[in-house]
Amino acid sequence: MTDDVHSLIGAYVLDALDDIDRAAFDRHLRDCEVCRQEADELFEVTARLADGAWSVPPPRLRDNVLAEITGTRQLPPVVPPRSQPRSRRGLRLVAAAAAVVVATGAVTAVYQIQDQRVRETQSRLEAARASEARVRSILGAPDVQTRSEQLKSGGRVTVASSRLQNAGVILLAADSAPGTGRVYQMWTIQAGAPASAGALGEGQAAAVQVVEGLPGMSNVGITIEKAPSSATPTAPLDALVNLL
Amino acid sequence: MAERGTGDRPEYLTPVPDPETVPDAGSLLAAVARGEEKAFGRLYDLVAPRVYGLARRVLRDPAQAEEVAQEVLVEVWRTAARWDAQRGSATAWIFTIAHRRAVDRVRAEQAAGDRTARVGAASVDTPYDEVADEVAARLERQQVRHCLEVLTEVQRQAVTLAFCQGHSYPQVSELLRVPLPTVKSRMRDGLIRLRDCLTPEVAA
Repeated sequence: MTDDVHSLIGAYVLDALDDIDRAAFDRHLRDCEVCRQEADELFEVTARLADGAWSVPPPRLRDNVLAEITGTRQLPPVVPPRSQPRSRRGLRLVAAAAAVVVATGAVTAVYQIQDQRVRETQSRLEAARASEARVRSILGAPDVQTRSEQLKSGGRVTVASSRLQNAGVILLAADSAPGTGRVYQMWTIQAGAPASAGALGEGQAAAVQVVEGLPGMSNVGITIEKAPSSATPTAPLDALVNLL
Repeated sequence: MAERGTGDRPEYLTPVPDPETVPDAGSLLAAVARGEEKAFGRLYDLVAPRVYGLARRVLRDPAQAEEVAQEVLVEVWRTAARWDAQRGSATAWIFTIAHRRAVDRVRAEQAAGDRTARVGAASVDTPYDEVADEVAARLERQQVRHCLEVLTEVQRQAVTLAFCQGHSYPQVSELLRVPLPTVKSRMRDGLIRLRDCLTPEVAA
């Protein structure tokens, strides 16, 4: 792809990209064997940085891990189908890249998806794991399009949308949370009619939200509402993203 | 077994300075991929201190680091068959998973408001020198430490702020007060220079 995308390779290898940029870069790597090799080499470098981070874990960690793996089914190796037109190595690389993404539970602010009100850590993590795959499939879709707008209150909202997946992801990254008793709320707008796509919790400034059917909508809007959420958007909009 | 003169020291206490002297991480991971639990135990002993140390460096909180380390190590067991030796070393594969998991946890916390999501306020309160000192201390006796010194100041800061603190590149840009494109290129240039330093035959 473009040099512009490729310039992110250092940040990518250092895990310094947000979800949208990371997904864009994963797509870039899919199309570029040389870039994959460069990324692999740089991952070897960052692995060496880990040499310096040596810390003896508590002994119970070993017991806990070994106990957990006895009840954990292993993923099978990826067997490249012979009849595919693409080279076997190419397929294996793609599969390996996908496996790394799967393995690392790629998504950042995903922990907030679906149920913003869930405070208890365990539930939040479970919700995150459930949504993670969906977010990844949307951001990784070959036809994904992203659009971004500034928030009037500071920060930005990015909308990634895929017709193939018939879904989109709203990435809200405000500079700061609204004042006490106020929350950010996300809306989809179709034929002039707004529907809530979820509200953030009080004190929250960032979220990743999956919206099924997003490609059929005309806009995504962001408002600041009274906590916990509003039935209808309150003017003025903090941001309006045009999807058409 | 690698070192003579340390006869009665349990094998798992052998220091692991770099992948070159522990060529068997790859064969262990390959055995793990075949479901050999015993090999996993040995692989655990080999990499767990670095996985835990990495999580701890990024997350700071020992309890969270332990949770993340456990997730990572179980993930290594679960997905071992997906490791492709042609693409990279076993240790790189494992630490890539570990670093990303740790960073994801940091970001999730930031997003959830447990930490401030605003870059400007809290993070800037941690002076860079403190980070640099800590990194330098931990990297002592490491080849990496020497190689980090080869980098320019901004390259080194950009790499360590992202790697050790889990900062995103816009956050690094804010912290160092340098423009985004500069941060991007310093990260890349810094890693390339590190690579060349760590593998001299390539540098020539």
